[in-house]
Amino acid sequence: MLKATFRSFLAHKGRLALSMLAVLLSVAFVAGTLMFTDTIGSTFDELFRSTSPDVSVTAHNDVAGRNDQNFSGTVPTVPESLIPTVRQVPGVASVVGRVQLAGIVLTDANNKSIGAIGGAPTIGINWDLRPNSPVDLTSGSAPHGDGQVVVDADTVHKHHLVLGQQLHVIAATGGFPVTLTGIATFNTTNPGATLVFLDTPTAQTRLLGHAGVFTSIDLTADKGVTHEQLRDRVAPVVGSAYDVKTAEQTAKDAAQTLGAFLSVIKDALLGFAGIAVLVGVSLILNTFSMLVAQRTRELGLMRALGASREQVNRSVLVEAALLGLVGSTLGLLLGVALALGLIKLIAAGGMVLKGSQLAVHWPTIVAAYAVGIIVTTVSAYLPARRASRISPMAALREADTPGRGAPLRVRAVVGLVVLAVATGALVGAATDKNLGQAGLLLGAGVLLSLVGLIVVGPLLARPVIRAIGGWFPRVFGPVGTLSQRNALRNPRRTSATASALMIGLALVASLSIVGSSLAASFDAQIDKTIGADLIVQNSTGLPFPNEVGDTVEATPGVGLAVRGQGTRGALVAADGTQQKTVVVGTSPGLEKVVRIEMRAGTVAAGTAPGHVMIGSNYADAHGLHLGSPVNILFQSGQTGTLTVGGIDVTDTNPGGLGDEPVLATSTLRQYVPGALDDIVFVNVAPGADKAQVKSALTTALAKDPQVQVRDQTDYKKLIRGQIDLLLNLVYGLLALAIIIAILGVVNTLALSVIERTREIGLLRAIGLGRAQLRRMVRLEAVVISLFGAVLGLGLGLGWGLTAQRLLAAKGLQALAIPWATIIAVVVGAAVVGLLAALGPALRASRLDVLDAIAHE
Amino acid sequence: MAAQDRSAPAARAVGLSKAYGSGDTAVLALDRVDVEIDAGRFTAIMGPSGSGKSTLMHCLAGLDKPTGGEVWVGDTELSRLGDKQLTRLRRDRIGFVFQAFNLLPTLTAEENITLPGDIAGRKADAGWLAQVVETLGLQDRLRHRPHELSGGQQQRVAVARALAARPQLIFADEPTGNLDSRSGAEVLGFLRRSVDELGQTVVMVTHDPNAASFADLVLFLADGRIVDRLMGPTADTVLERMRRFDSRGAKPTTATTD
Ligand SMILES: Nc1ncnc2c1ncn2[C@@H]1O[C@H](COP(=O)(O)OP(=O)(O)O)[C@@H](O)[C@H]1O
Ligand SMILES: [Mg+2]
Repeated sequence: MLKATFRSFLAHKGRLALSMLAVLLSVAFVAGTLMFTDTIGSTFDELFRSTSPDVSVTAHNDVAGRNDQNFSGTVPTVPESLIPTVRQVPGVASVVGRVQLAGIVLTDANNKSIGAIGGAPTIGINWDLRPNSPVDLTSGSAPHGDGQVVVDADTVHKHHLVLGQQLHVIAATGGFPVTLTGIATFNTTNPGATLVFLDTPTAQTRLLGHAGVFTSIDLTADKGVTHEQLRDRVAPVVGSAYDVKTAEQTAKDAAQTLGAFLSVIKDALLGFAGIAVLVGVSLILNTFSMLVAQRTRELGLMRALGASREQVNRSVLVEAALLGLVGSTLGLLLGVALALGLIKLIAAGGMVLKGSQLAVHWPTIVAAYAVGIIVTTVSAYLPARRASRISPMAALREADTPGRGAPLRVRAVVGLVVLAVATGALVGAATDKNLGQAGLLLGAGVLLSLVGLIVVGPLLARPVIRAIGGWFPRVFGPVGTLSQRNALRNPRRTSATASALMIGLALVASLSIVGSSLAASFDAQIDKTIGADLIVQNSTGLPFPNEVGDTVEATPGVGLAVRGQGTRGALVAADGTQQKTVVVGTSPGLEKVVRIEMRAGTVAAGTAPGHVMIGSNYADAHGLHLGSPVNILFQSGQTGTLTVGGIDVTDTNPGGLGDEPVLATSTLRQYVPGALDDIVFVNVAPGADKAQVKSALTTALAKDPQVQVRDQTDYKKLIRGQIDLLLNLVYGLLALAIIIAILGVVNTLALSVIERTREIGLLRAIGLGRAQLRRMVRLEAVVISLFGAVLGLGLGLGWGLTAQRLLAAKGLQALAIPWATIIAVVVGAAVVGLLAALGPALRASRLDVLDAIAHE
Repeated sequence: MAAQDRSAPAARAVGLSKAYGSGDTAVLALDRVDVEIDAGRFTAIMGPSGSGKSTLMHCLAGLDKPTGGEVWVGDTELSRLGDKQLTRLRRDRIGFVFQAFNLLPTLTAEENITLPGDIAGRKADAGWLAQVVETLGLQDRLRHRPHELSGGQQQRVAVARALAARPQLIFADEPTGNLDSRSGAEVLGFLRRSVDELGQTVVMVTHDPNAASFADLVLFLADGRIVDRLMGPTADTVLERMRRFDSRGAKPTTATTD
């Protein structure tokens, strides 16, 4: 029996090829994702372990993270005076004061940025190498004094820098010219960062704004003293104002931050792989159903010759498992290629995983085979059961006329019940006030509606295809009639084929609805709140040196410039509970550039020195009125008590003012001296031309390539661009599922052509031309694809609407249906059908008429 | 192009040969056959299994390419025609009835009947169609799908399809091979009437003497050659003629299906 199975597997290898490809692609995606993320993970573990000092001392801070480049003035520092104290601790071999700060900008003489803005960070570091430093000076000399810089070799090569070249460093305190005096090379992987080394006094004054402070003190332990021992000795000496960490702790913290990020990426990629697997299931199920149908007589003969039901069942399942085994093995190999490709890709993006082995852990291999084999055998289970039910009499009967399946009543009832529950869940999700619960309902609704639609798909095939292809007979004549009827011949098969496409398209449709609603909501919010003519900002929201604001103010035609700062902090309630938040600073005139709806008081009063403007939600929750005192913990660690001068209506829209406290820049800087601008709103002077001022500002700010001048239209475009980028990324990842769905259409058509060989012969004999025959196959494919598109769009519309309603409370108030995308999906589906039909149609038209008529 | 002038042949073959394979293993299915199919007549082709009946029919119908000689349908010589022209010829000038699987399962009886005309984009002649349908007794079956029809009814639909476009020639390859004798006789009766009453030309391949007795002329084929012809056959004369081949040592002809 096993031999017969093996023979049958080999005999059908052509017909199984596309299923195999589906398994292969799914497995490759899963395995590639795992290998890629594992490789990055282990590379960075290694990197963090090698770059962390044995023991480090940093300032303890509750609200600010280390190297939190999105917010200015966040750098907690350690005084130089602490160095002699820790040097005295027994077991300390060496002490290095470290200045290390992300978020600076390096430009060439033409103000062109070197190193990616908004990509991997540019990090400024003081040139004071500790023992076992991860970088070495490989050419030139170390930086000495203000105006000298050493840059890492990867950046030097990428931008073709030469020793002696004039560069420009822009740090929080402003820009300054430097000369490239040396090149430093990583002896481990460079994670893609651009490293800018300055001598210690320069780093302190230029990067931190103060002489005599460091971001950390790095200690090396004596031989024989463990990191833990040293930490335990240092901690009591420096006191609780400082965090003392071993290399292991530092590496673990860093790995955790990265790990969280990596696991998000991994989950997202695996999610898309899962969708691809799901789509593959329908393809495999279809293939095996068709193979079993085509082999009814053969299997009947086996039964007649004494094979038991179990044996027939098993033979089909073993065939599937063989398919899974081969597919998984090939998929694993393709996965390696995929992972290597991804590593190359990120290397091109700047993150070079140097000298690291591709991490192929055994869970990856297990997962690959599990996915491949389980998916195929599970998909083949139903067809196998059907095969085992074939009676020995089938061997003697004529082959079944296709198109007469078992009644679909059970399917209808089950499907409609599931769909009803799904609709309930989606309506619940759209109306539930509790966001967490609504999210769960949405998830359940999405899943159930998908399952429900797959179940009732065969019932929908007839009406939907009649509607889609109703005009075919009129336009394409009998070829149109035949193609439409062929698509309806086996509604289960048609709907299984179409549902594969449906899944991908439903996701595209719903995400595009959410995306365009998000853009529309932003647009509405910008129209509603931004009164400024122009906005100067970094495209990723990073803070910039104050000289930018100074330049803006000095530019002719600028009437009013309002400069805003964002810092970390917390609102401290009367009972001491802290609510972490962004503390916003603003120069006078905010009400003239941003429209803020006030509950009580005025913007001007709230942003007067010593005062604060708070959100209505927070005020209500804590019983605050105009004149109430509010305690704010600033990121510097100081707590200030300010007076409520204004209460604004808490705005949950994207980009709206939430409960963030807003106060005068002068007040903010009393507590956070280093707070930098991260936005400048500009109103042009009366009589000045907006476009002229804009170009004047752009010219004036050319030396600060990290900021851009935008009017409201540019601003909307920027946000739309960011949303589109994200959507395109998601569409790209969905492409795999859609490709597998296309393979499914090809597969169904190819097997249908084989099944209908005799019919094709007859058609050709009575006068159907080759071109007409090809058109018939193509139209069938188009109908099937459009059926999938219609279901997918319907489903996606439901999901998208629900998600929009759900997120309306979070500010996604505008609903925008992206008609262009939807039309593109429909047209795309038709094109997909045409492409999928190419091979099968050609094959059908090449059949020899007489052979086809005589076909068994 | 309905009933033709009875004097000109509807089709003819001149020195028609068909070989399968090449070299030593070549099989000569037809060996320099000369034949004329008279218009407005019912011609039966008989012969033992493997004698070349189907091959002859396929060559005459433009389904297969001869390896030698000429085939004419009306005044068209087929050897120089490409696939497109052959397809058009079959569509416009020839009707087919096969032994089985004559109909498209997705189309109704009526749609099957009008299919060749529809493919050609011709408007059906409603009067003629009604006459054909009535002659074949299919009025009540037009909306049915093939699987809802009996075998005999299916073959009648196939005959109706062959007639519907009023082709110059109708080829039928063992049209009653899968039917019981009563339904078979019915279908043969209709073919007969289509010649007598509708003026059609029919060529039928069969190995059944009873079926052959419906024809005006029987051609006997053996080893790829026409070895005999019989005008105005009856079942008995045909059977007697076949016995004569048997006793002469030709291959047995009884009840083998091809
Ligand atoms: N496609 C083919 N390839 C090789 N030989 C063939 C082919 N078709 C028919 N033949 C041979 O040609 C001869 C005539 O076949 P056919 O016309 O089908 O005979 P009949 O219909 O009288 O039974 C037989 O010997 C048969 O084996
Ligand atoms: Mg034959």
